[in-house]
Amino acid sequence: MSKIMITSPKNTNTQLKSFLEKFERRIQATPPGICPIVLQISLLEECRSQTCTKCVPCRDGIPQLVEILKKIGQCQGTRDDLEQARTLAELIRDTSDCAIGYDAGAMVLEGMETFREEYEMHLNYSRCNFDIKQSVPCETMCPAHVNVPGYIALVEEGRYGDAVNMVRKDNPFPTACALICEHPCEEKCRRTIIDSPINIRGIKKFAVDQAHADQVPCPQANPSTGRKVAVIGAGPSGLTCAYFLALMGHHVDVYEEKSKPGGMLRYGIPAYRFPRERLDEDISAILSVGNIEIKCNTPVGAQQMSRFMEEYDGIYVAIGAHTEKKLRIDNVDAGNVISAVNILREIGDGNYPDFTDKNVVIVGGGNVAMDCARTSVRCGAKSVSIVYRRRKEDMTALPEEIESAVAEGVELITLQAPIGVETDEQGNCRALLVQPQMIGPVKGGRPAPVNANKPQEKIQADVILLAVGQDVVCQPFEEFGMKTERNCFKATPYLEAEGFDKLFVGGDCQTGPATVIKAVAAGKVAARNIDEYMGYHHKLNCGVETPLPKENDRTPKGRVNIAERPARVRKNDFKSVEIEMSLEEAIQECGRCLRCDHYGCGSMEGGRVTYD
Amino acid sequence: MINLTINGIPMSVEEGTTILEAARTADIRIPTLCYLKDRNQIASCRMCVVEVAGRSNLVASCNTPVEEGMEVTTDNDRIFRARKTALDLIMAKHGLETIAPCFSCNKNGACELQDLCREFGLEKSSFYVKKDPEPVLDSNPFLSYNPNLCIACQRCVGACNNGAHNHILQMKREGLKTIVDAPFGEYWKFTTCESCGNCAEACPTGALTLKRRKEYREWEVEKVLTTCPHCAVGCQYYLVVKDGKIVNAEAADGPANHGLTCVKGRSASFDFVNSPQRLTTPLIKNKETGQFEKATWDEALDLVASKFLELKEKYGPDSLAGFACARSTNEDIYMFQKMVRTCFGTNNTDNCARVCHSSTVSGLAITLGSGAMTNTIEDITRDSDVIMLVGSNPEEAHPVIGMQIREAVEKGTKLIVVDPRDTQLTQKADIHLKLRPGTNVAFANGMMHIILEEGLEDKAFIESRTENFEALREMVKSYTPERVGEICHVDPDRLREAARMYAKAKAAPICYCLGVTEHSTGTEGVMSLSNLAMLCGKLGRPGCGVNPIRGQNNVQGACDMGAQPSDFPGYQKVANPDVIAKFEKAWGVKLNTKEGLKATDCFPAMLEGKIKGLFIFGEDPIRTDPDTHHVEKALKSLDFLVMDELFLTETAKYADVVLPGRSYAEKEGTFSNTERRVQRVRKAVTIKGDTRLDTDIFIDLMNRMGYPQPHMTAAEIMDEVASVTPSFAGISHKRLDSEEVAGRGLQWPCTGTDHPGTPILHVGKFSRGLGLFQPSEYRDPAEMPDEEYPLILMTGRILYHYNACAMTDKTPGLNEIANSSFIEINQKDASEKGIRDGDRVKVSSRRGELTTTARVSDKTYPGECWMPFHFQDGNANLLTNAALDNISRAPEYKVCAIKVQKA
Repeated sequence: MSKIMITSPKNTNTQLKSFLEKFERRIQATPPGICPIVLQISLLEECRSQTCTKCVPCRDGIPQLVEILKKIGQCQGTRDDLEQARTLAELIRDTSDCAIGYDAGAMVLEGMETFREEYEMHLNYSRCNFDIKQSVPCETMCPAHVNVPGYIALVEEGRYGDAVNMVRKDNPFPTACALICEHPCEEKCRRTIIDSPINIRGIKKFAVDQAHADQVPCPQANPSTGRKVAVIGAGPSGLTCAYFLALMGHHVDVYEEKSKPGGMLRYGIPAYRFPRERLDEDISAILSVGNIEIKCNTPVGAQQMSRFMEEYDGIYVAIGAHTEKKLRIDNVDAGNVISAVNILREIGDGNYPDFTDKNVVIVGGGNVAMDCARTSVRCGAKSVSIVYRRRKEDMTALPEEIESAVAEGVELITLQAPIGVETDEQGNCRALLVQPQMIGPVKGGRPAPVNANKPQEKIQADVILLAVGQDVVCQPFEEFGMKTERNCFKATPYLEAEGFDKLFVGGDCQTGPATVIKAVAAGKVAARNIDEYMGYHHKLNCGVETPLPKENDRTPKGRVNIAERPARVRKNDFKSVEIEMSLEEAIQECGRCLRCDHYGCGSMEGGRVTYD
Repeated sequence: MINLTINGIPMSVEEGTTILEAARTADIRIPTLCYLKDRNQIASCRMCVVEVAGRSNLVASCNTPVEEGMEVTTDNDRIFRARKTALDLIMAKHGLETIAPCFSCNKNGACELQDLCREFGLEKSSFYVKKDPEPVLDSNPFLSYNPNLCIACQRCVGACNNGAHNHILQMKREGLKTIVDAPFGEYWKFTTCESCGNCAEACPTGALTLKRRKEYREWEVEKVLTTCPHCAVGCQYYLVVKDGKIVNAEAADGPANHGLTCVKGRSASFDFVNSPQRLTTPLIKNKETGQFEKATWDEALDLVASKFLELKEKYGPDSLAGFACARSTNEDIYMFQKMVRTCFGTNNTDNCARVCHSSTVSGLAITLGSGAMTNTIEDITRDSDVIMLVGSNPEEAHPVIGMQIREAVEKGTKLIVVDPRDTQLTQKADIHLKLRPGTNVAFANGMMHIILEEGLEDKAFIESRTENFEALREMVKSYTPERVGEICHVDPDRLREAARMYAKAKAAPICYCLGVTEHSTGTEGVMSLSNLAMLCGKLGRPGCGVNPIRGQNNVQGACDMGAQPSDFPGYQKVANPDVIAKFEKAWGVKLNTKEGLKATDCFPAMLEGKIKGLFIFGEDPIRTDPDTHHVEKALKSLDFLVMDELFLTETAKYADVVLPGRSYAEKEGTFSNTERRVQRVRKAVTIKGDTRLDTDIFIDLMNRMGYPQPHMTAAEIMDEVASVTPSFAGISHKRLDSEEVAGRGLQWPCTGTDHPGTPILHVGKFSRGLGLFQPSEYRDPAEMPDEEYPLILMTGRILYHYNACAMTDKTPGLNEIANSSFIEINQKDASEKGIRDGDRVKVSSRRGELTTTARVSDKTYPGECWMPFHFQDGNANLLTNAALDNISRAPEYKVCAIKVQKA
């Protein structure tokens, strides 16, 4: 009889698996600034290695396409080469049997559109686009271009205060970013090639936990220039702008509608994530520079704006996005249906709701929804549910936020689209009516839900919190004459408000709801450009030098994550959920830094991206 | 049916049809390159892409099934561009610049890639073309692989795996590229490649080629469609003729071979035609010197005619005999037996079926009424759910049937192999009953015992269509599985499983071969299998039947044409006075009414002096008949021996006159394959020298012996056959060549010019009316092993040679693969004698001895050996026993007692 062999468990595929993990990490760590055509070629080479070699278009077409693209990639290609590549890619896309082939063709064609400018540069000028050059990944990826390797090295040396000032060189909110930054700096961290990205936020948190921001003196401000600048909005963007302008020697009046400064840091982020006293540390440090006057409870309208244009030498509008997006469902105006923005604002002013014995339902899947849910837990709710019309993996909230919410007892009800609110006799909500969904085709890069062939359901709800997005209150400024697009202020890349000189605009109100660090970046850019506008070119010195680099530690190590207090304990109070890193942990984590500012492209001309 | 439109033309085709096939039914051309129907539908080349409304991509028409309402476009700018770009890529891979220009390629003019490039106006690839050549693999005597020209279409791989089902050719990854892992390099001998060459035939380019193509260019040759002259599968192929010489063979899509050939058909079916060893002039033996001397035809024919007349005069007509050639055409054989009957005046005519399937002819005639294969190769391999092979190794003896059985098994048909020896197919069998040689009757009786005991018989069939069932029931009662297990040396449970598997199958053919017939109980073995099939109602429908696989290209025809001592053409009995009267009328002479002697009985009759004169037409009994010494003595005792031959064979050396006849490639005619399919043989060449058509030789002799036989063409002879043979009444060359028949031949009975032929016998009614259960008790073979000769010897065929090698040993490549005798011996027996694999050994029986090479293995059980019968350097027939079957007089080639010692 003819025997058959059992498939050996130790075959090449299992050996490949760990190798592929390295490969994946290498791809994750693709440094910013590489030529997209070169990247396409290397992806296409990978496609080529995957071909089973059955179909001509994939087997023979991809290698030929690699050759043609290499020619173009090396800036030796002609328009005919591009056309041949296009024809070939179309053949591969249209006639390959399986995804290995057709998706390779589609990928090249899509790249030809997406990177059209790059292709044109290669063909017409025999060079890459001007922005194609590598730079230090963390620093480049940070919107404010904070000198990350610098402050990590300082932390490693135990120079926590210097580390805080190194952060402040670009970002006067070291504490805020230490606690709640979404840390894009970690995204392309080169350390990923070896093991995993450095816990950059964690290191920064260690620094501000050792040297609280209000205890670390800011650099001395310049002598007064006598110029006056108005900043509208005392959020992270406005205060950043104010901080740098003040350091340059200008006087800044900050107008704030609410009773306290901090913007969304106070009125959007709950205290258990960012304790108020920690926010106050950043703010008091900023104010310690002098020359900044914050005018709270002072809303600014069209009239004031016109006046400010007369009175001030420069104006920066950074009013954030503080109004709620509306949800168009039946009975949305019922009692106890509250917007997330409103409830978080109340909390920001210290007015905590009492949800004792209430079933709270939150609609939404972003970080704000998680904030509302976790706050509701802390306000004594009997049950807290998040209703979301997509799947858990489609939620825009950070995965760790979702995980923490679930750990604290929040229930995720996914693939349910709210369609209405059921009310009681008093007109208060009693339940959220939902239509079950199924996940469908990808639209705009995300899988979109469609109505499932299932009956509507009812979710019991004594309180409904709508966390479906925020909006900018543009109207008074439009009245004044500022231009908007999709309810955001229009500005040049230099953050000059369109149609005005001396008026600058940035932060959430210009970009739509985004992150703290982007707001900070906008504030710094605005400050620099206002200074320039006023005819100066002030240099600012943070007074700290980056320590000399040590040898790279090439031994793979685990990443030290920031631990949290146990869910069953932390859910009962609004104290910070995060636990401080230990010294050993911080030193080990700092030791993993590869010092890309020194090794590799960082030491090269053009290898650093900064807002100096 | 599925409705669709192609280029706006509405059509309706069967579900499962591909777009390509649908288009072809409407004569819409879609170019293809990698496509080979049923063999290679992997859609690699993308030349066949088409547009389907509603689909954004272009789909490969060769493997996309039609769907209801599909709107297909086969030609527009986008499609043309895609096809041309694909072709451009293929051209880059083809690497013309690597090797040589097109005109230096063996396939120039026959290259599909060349044709497509011309069609698409592509002169050279616009892509990067590799320049460093890779080595060509060409150590195999017939086949060569040039990886530089390979376009990786995998047609060869498809042909090997899905056509020949030999699973040798695979694709091999070499880093970024994949090439065909062709076993034609240095180590070619160490693979199980059968060198069938179906791969080379499948190759669209000059990458994988038959080496013979070097000898000609496509435009220099003509191709003659004919029938293979080796085994009885009846493969259709073209002989490729250049300047009057056959230079190659190419498979045709025949009904039995479906475009396949084996190594012998493709590579060893024509070298012999032009062999310098061919006889080209009549030879007369000088009585004094014992040497042959060249003679004119008149001298030779006068001598033959006068000598036979003299012997007839002196000893009576029954002192003469004539053996017909089972390799020759129906027309030759008909005229030969007519000569024997009308001029010799005797029924002493026979053919070599006597030593192979005579047991079939007599056995099935008794039980069913017709001694031929009941079904077709196609239905038994495609419509069955169990195939039972008994004493048959088709992979070697009938390779193209073997390929189709492999296919059936791979597609899920269960296989029961009853064979004393391990073969390639036994490895794929669900059940291998490795029974003791010579115990087929006991095996069949045991199967029937179990079937009856378990109530698995087809009661309705037995009731309505058979007789003598009770006698069978009584007889098999004693054949309990345990008793049969002991006789056959098989596990009783395994026998039970086989019985259930066969009986419960919806359709199951019994296919058998010489392992059943070549026994002293051969006819009983055949009848027992017939009993088994009838018991289960497995007759008269597709995928069933009792199917003897005949050994020689026209052994069926030789029997059909009346080269039998008891039968006129079409099995019309000599014993029947009406038949005698009919033929006396047709032939215009008084005929001998006495049944003739069977060939195997002729030899003893020669020794007894009863037969004095013998005409042998193309047989070599010295090599092929059992007990060579016995045959030698018999031939020497003759007064006069005439041979009509192609070569001076071992037997011809004993002749008084040798007449140079013509091979199948030099004549028109027909062969009847194993499935009773009469197919055309066509003249491809005329060779140099003074050969004559065999029919002309016989006709001239007939006239010289006083019978006024006019000269006739082969077609005219077939018309005469039809006029005297009811089962051939509708067969003529004209009809066989007609569009109506479309190259599929005609299967007899074909009783009129409007009769379509009979693919399956006994539908609704047996030829004899009711099927007869003919119970047979088991008897031991004639010669059993004993202390002196302790081992059983079986004989058989190997793939690479044909019978006495008269044709195949003229092909050097085959001799390179296999040219020497060997004996397969079990490890245990070998070690007892201190014999190791490859040792020279002396093998002896009571009748003779020889020296050969030992192949030590477990292929046979201890106590059993096997030898091929092809090779003269150790001819197994020196050992075999001429013990004859008591009905058919077939000899017991398959069992004799021997001993083996180190030489």
